[in-house]
Amino acid sequence: MDVWSSLMDGFATALTPMNFMYAVIGVILGTAVGVLPGLGPAMTVALLLPVTYALEPTSAFIMFAGIYYGGMYGGSTTSILLNTPGESSSVVTAIEGNKMAKAGRAAQALATAAIGSFVAGTIGTALLAVCAPIVVKFAVSLGAPSYFAIMVLALLAVTAVLGSSRLRGFASLGLGLAIGLVGMDSVTGQRRLTFGQPLLADGLDIVVVAVAIFAVGEALWVAAHLRRTPLHAIPVGQPWMGKSDWKRSWKPWLRGTAFGFPFGALPAGGAEIPTFLSYVTEKRLSKHPEEFGKGAIEGVAGPEAANNAAAAGTLTPMLALGLPTNATAAVMLAAFTSYGIQPGPQLFTSQGPLVWALIASLFIGNFLLLIINLPLAPMWAKLLQLPRPYLYAGILFFATLGAYSVNLQAFDLVILLVLGALGFMMRRFGLPVLPLILGVILGPRIEGQLRKTLQLSAGDPAGLWSEPIAVGIYVIIGLILLWPFAYKLIRRNRPKNSPLLPANSGAADYSD
Amino acid sequence: MTIVVGYVPTPEGEAALTQAIAEARRSSTTLLVINSSRGDALVDNRYAQEQEIQSIEDRLATQGIDHVIKQPVRGHDAAAEVLDAAEEHNAELIVIGLRRRTPVGKLIMGSVSQRILLEADCPVLAVKAG
Amino acid sequence: MTSLTTGLKGRAELGVSLLLGAAGVLVFLDANGLVTPYSKSDPVGPKTVPFIVAGMLVVCAVLLAINVLRGGKGEAEGGEDVDLEHPADWKTILPLAGAFILNILLVDWAGWVISGTVLFWGSVLALGSRHYVRDGLISVALSLLTFYGFYLGLGIALPAGLLEGIL
Repeated sequence: MDVWSSLMDGFATALTPMNFMYAVIGVILGTAVGVLPGLGPAMTVALLLPVTYALEPTSAFIMFAGIYYGGMYGGSTTSILLNTPGESSSVVTAIEGNKMAKAGRAAQALATAAIGSFVAGTIGTALLAVCAPIVVKFAVSLGAPSYFAIMVLALLAVTAVLGSSRLRGFASLGLGLAIGLVGMDSVTGQRRLTFGQPLLADGLDIVVVAVAIFAVGEALWVAAHLRRTPLHAIPVGQPWMGKSDWKRSWKPWLRGTAFGFPFGALPAGGAEIPTFLSYVTEKRLSKHPEEFGKGAIEGVAGPEAANNAAAAGTLTPMLALGLPTNATAAVMLAAFTSYGIQPGPQLFTSQGPLVWALIASLFIGNFLLLIINLPLAPMWAKLLQLPRPYLYAGILFFATLGAYSVNLQAFDLVILLVLGALGFMMRRFGLPVLPLILGVILGPRIEGQLRKTLQLSAGDPAGLWSEPIAVGIYVIIGLILLWPFAYKLIRRNRPKNSPLLPANSGAADYSD
Repeated sequence: MTIVVGYVPTPEGEAALTQAIAEARRSSTTLLVINSSRGDALVDNRYAQEQEIQSIEDRLATQGIDHVIKQPVRGHDAAAEVLDAAEEHNAELIVIGLRRRTPVGKLIMGSVSQRILLEADCPVLAVKAG
Repeated sequence: MTSLTTGLKGRAELGVSLLLGAAGVLVFLDANGLVTPYSKSDPVGPKTVPFIVAGMLVVCAVLLAINVLRGGKGEAEGGEDVDLEHPADWKTILPLAGAFILNILLVDWAGWVISGTVLFWGSVLALGSRHYVRDGLISVALSLLTFYGFYLGLGIALPAGLLEGIL
């Protein structure tokens, strides 16, 4: 499987007029959604899932990839220009970027964010193109026991490591697994959790679940807590950078990429850790450390690159192993499932052209995003003035439309409402949403692997650790589960830290 | 008796505020500054932020003007808020900033100042920027 | 920022525990009712995973209850546009839910165009928009556009309901 020629074929597919158009739609949607408050790439992809039923898989995924990357770009625009940035995933960019904007250097902040994102995205995607096949080669040799172990690891890593409360993470996971159980058991054909309702026999459509949890739940939650006092958007002209800005930015871009990609690829990595690491590193290495906290360009360049590289990194396990590590990847995985495509290591062989076209369109999308974000950033900022009633009514409208169009059943809308209420409740009580959606998506697959494992070992539980890799992974799982207890012992000797900052960071002086 | 001024952080709003201060000093009355927003969107550049409000406070304090600054966010448009405030506080004068609009602009936008001019019970002083 | 933490709220989170526990029991009972002849090719059977999930839910429910009673609380999710200072704005949510439910009731017999209009118009009204006529027009336009768009573009025929024949 020659990477280069596969990639070239991918470009050929991605550059057809139709697919190119979908890439453009994707990046525009993604940026818009990233800018607008209350939305996000995960929700947008979820809202568009029903549309996939009518689109070619290649086109749909090209669009989703555009949305995914676009969301990053849009998000940084908002966090730089909003005069009171809130809690968003670009919070680190906001630290320095916002200060830069207030000091009249918004154009430079936006420029370094956009160009850094492009650099990181391109390098990250290249790494993806190289690494994914390697991972696949290794993964194909795995049997059911190891595969089962990996999936359990992925689930546990997301549940137990991310988020502030592991207990709630597990609760959320439990709910997700329960939702995934609804329907017919794949092996024996018996109905589970259907309560005699024939409409539930096919299980809860993953599309409906995703739309309910991500779109309806989020819309209801934000609608219940709309920020009343409006903010200002700091006005800005066209983004550009001076020579010294370039000189100060390029190394942070590269370092940020180096931080972002590995963390994105790890099941529990996420984008928060690498962006903070990048920030702290840049502050340490900077020749102008006194500027940090007042608008240091390195503090924008590094974290932004880390963010985008992490996004590319996340796609590696998603495409190579079928393991999503963040919400957007999870929803994209749901899209695979709804197409009847089995995600996993065999994806590259069974759907090679699709995957490579997807990767190629990531390069294209990155490039497009640079073009539309650099000159048009002020225009995107205007989106922030969109009246919210239309925004959230629109989300509910399209969520309903989408969910209904899946089966043309009003019953699906009832599920939408119920699960949307669940999503609302979860956000209210701090139950993280990601474990739930992972439980719904991975639950059935994990169960399948478990049964296969024990079937192969004829019922002998030792089959679970019959492969060396499986054993290794169980050791890692054990470490992850025991880590908090060990950490508590260590923490007895240190003062309590804010959950956002690493223990050794000097970034504490940013708070006003 | 009060003087109500509809303020926005724009040249027109500043001009209105300056004129209102002069009027308040002339008749030694309280100045009520209204800066409202529908609260519809996340960003509303016509809604003054803390810093701007603080500088207005300081300005009015140093000039010795008796004042109250209100920033209602109730989903009403600016004209309604100003008119409401005028009625509630028995205003003797409303001061607003006037923006030059093209004829088409006046048609499509539904001018705030036009509505205040027509519906106010008390005299209205319309001030241009610059 | 955590003004959501009044004594009552602590108890509200117990509702979550209740929900988790109830779900666990539900899953357990449902799985129990399954018939599982032992089969060599499927030693795990359809009951195992549900039992595990049920157990997990019940354990979480209990632990969460303990955590809440000890004073722990879940952090409500924040965001750029989210203001957590005040409790949930029920005056907004309930009409929103109402519009949603109306749509569910209307979609099959009155058709998407009507029910979608009700949904969008109701939603914008619930969210505070005051431009009644303009919103009504936008709602109708959206519903019509999506109706035709889905049919022509995606081949999905949304129900025409009462307007059958006109559309």
